[in-house]
Amino acid sequence: MKGMIKYWNKPSRCAYLFLAPSIVLLMIFNVIPLAAAFGLSLFDVPMTLNSAEFVGWKNFIEAFHDDRFINSLKVTAIFTLIEVPIQVAGALVIAAFITKNNLKNKLLRAIYFLPVICSATAVGIMWRMILHSNIGFVTATLRSMGLGKINFLNTPGLTVFVVGFISLWRSFGISAIIYVTAIQQVSASLYEAAEMDGAGKVRQFFHITVPSIRPTFWYILMTRFAGALQIFDIIYITTNGGPNYTTESTVTYIYSRAFSSASSMGYASAMSVILFTVIMAVTVFMYRKMNKED
Amino acid sequence: MSPKTAKKVRENIYGIPVFILLIILALLVLIPVVWMAFSAFKPEKEIISWPPTFFPQTLTSQNFVDVQKRINILQYMLNSVIYAGGTTALAVIVNSTAGYAYAFYNFKGKSGLFLLTLATMMVPFQVIMVPLFLIVYKMGMYDSYWGLIIPRVVVAGSIFMMRAAFTGLPKELAEAARIDGLSEFGIFRKIMLPQVKPAIITLTILSINGSWNDLLWPMIVTSSTEMRTLANGLALFIGQNTIEYGAAFAGALISLAPMLILYIFGQKYFVEGMAGSGLKG
Repeated sequence: MKGMIKYWNKPSRCAYLFLAPSIVLLMIFNVIPLAAAFGLSLFDVPMTLNSAEFVGWKNFIEAFHDDRFINSLKVTAIFTLIEVPIQVAGALVIAAFITKNNLKNKLLRAIYFLPVICSATAVGIMWRMILHSNIGFVTATLRSMGLGKINFLNTPGLTVFVVGFISLWRSFGISAIIYVTAIQQVSASLYEAAEMDGAGKVRQFFHITVPSIRPTFWYILMTRFAGALQIFDIIYITTNGGPNYTTESTVTYIYSRAFSSASSMGYASAMSVILFTVIMAVTVFMYRKMNKED
Repeated sequence: MSPKTAKKVRENIYGIPVFILLIILALLVLIPVVWMAFSAFKPEKEIISWPPTFFPQTLTSQNFVDVQKRINILQYMLNSVIYAGGTTALAVIVNSTAGYAYAFYNFKGKSGLFLLTLATMMVPFQVIMVPLFLIVYKMGMYDSYWGLIIPRVVVAGSIFMMRAAFTGLPKELAEAARIDGLSEFGIFRKIMLPQVKPAIITLTILSINGSWNDLLWPMIVTSSTEMRTLANGLALFIGQNTIEYGAAFAGALISLAPMLILYIFGQKYFVEGMAGSGLKG
């Protein structure tokens, strides 16, 4: 026993002991599942989970002929187009206004960041009630203004934007705060020099702030893109894909095909692999662009 | 008026619409949250009355009693505490030892293992959720606390955060302790770990927040009513198209309150943990 402790107490050896738990867990719960997702996508796995039949590319061919899957890709694209530009550009503008460390800005930052720490469940319930066609105060206000009774969460064509807004509401603060932190790192002397040259705040924003925070810009663009492509929580709570699949994102559809009564793990895995490919392609594309810029 | 003061005046005039915009955004965040919090204390009759009220006319705690009658929310809370507490306790141990090893030791295969850890950050949970479910199921951890907790312990981002924190410490500290005859684990536990307290607090807060709010994994890996966490139990409750609005408000407030308290006391750590990652990227 004593000898063993002595053996492992050598710095170069004990490093492995320190690392072992994380590596083992990462292998079992990250690396193997990813490989398994690719493997499973080539199989038919019945509900009992006791057997698996090799079917080759069948699941992939089926996916591209599945209207519901194609629709889910479109819906996901819409969510991405609603969310990403506002997160990437809108949050930067807001961040520029609240960069200075005074009491007013600190308070605003604390408020904007608040939704980030709230669960999708609570946020979803909250907005469901606010937009509720009978008891919601937004609906009531619009009605008293004579705008009629709008059913925000059950109107094809409108609901996808409403859910997009709720998702944006929940995550806007994170982008804004990341930008604030980045802008604060920009050397103050740059702004002072611009000030001396008579450049106004708007020019300072475009000529100093924007170029200086480019790495952060790319970081937010990439993470928000990847995040939007995986949208699930808010949809599940507010509409669960309805009405008529108009808010059913790809992950929502994968979830329902994997874990509902019509469970088909192989098919769900094939769709996961397609989604993964899209996310990776977008990320790699942006990463290349970013590196070219530097 | 000199051109400089003219510019100042101009900027102040622009400042007003900007300030209004910022206030509107703040209200857009606050009003819904406050309305929900107030509504949790309104009697059902007032909630469904027309027009809806903002401030409660009468205060009641009946909604909190009702929600417990409909769903076992106390059990859900306990499950959320176990899930968040268990995951966080293990996450602090596993991620900080790993971060320490990458920061302080040189060993064969270091860069390879580090790269592997880095690569897992690129794998979205949504992509691996199906096989992850199968693995947990085959390991016999389905619908158990272990199944909830164990797969969520290691987070590559946390390992990096801990590594960054440890990298800032002088290596001489370890050398001196080694000469004093402290074991390697003793050096880590007694000398190094106390030096990175802020990083540990950040990791703790982010981990608690993440698992408390987690919806997807508890939904996948639990099936029985007794195993539901607040996030997924309430989601399923509201999903039944409930018409008990008061209970829904109360439930949402119950799930939100601990995180709000955590946020009030640990805002700095939330921001550092979530925004800090954007700078190193």
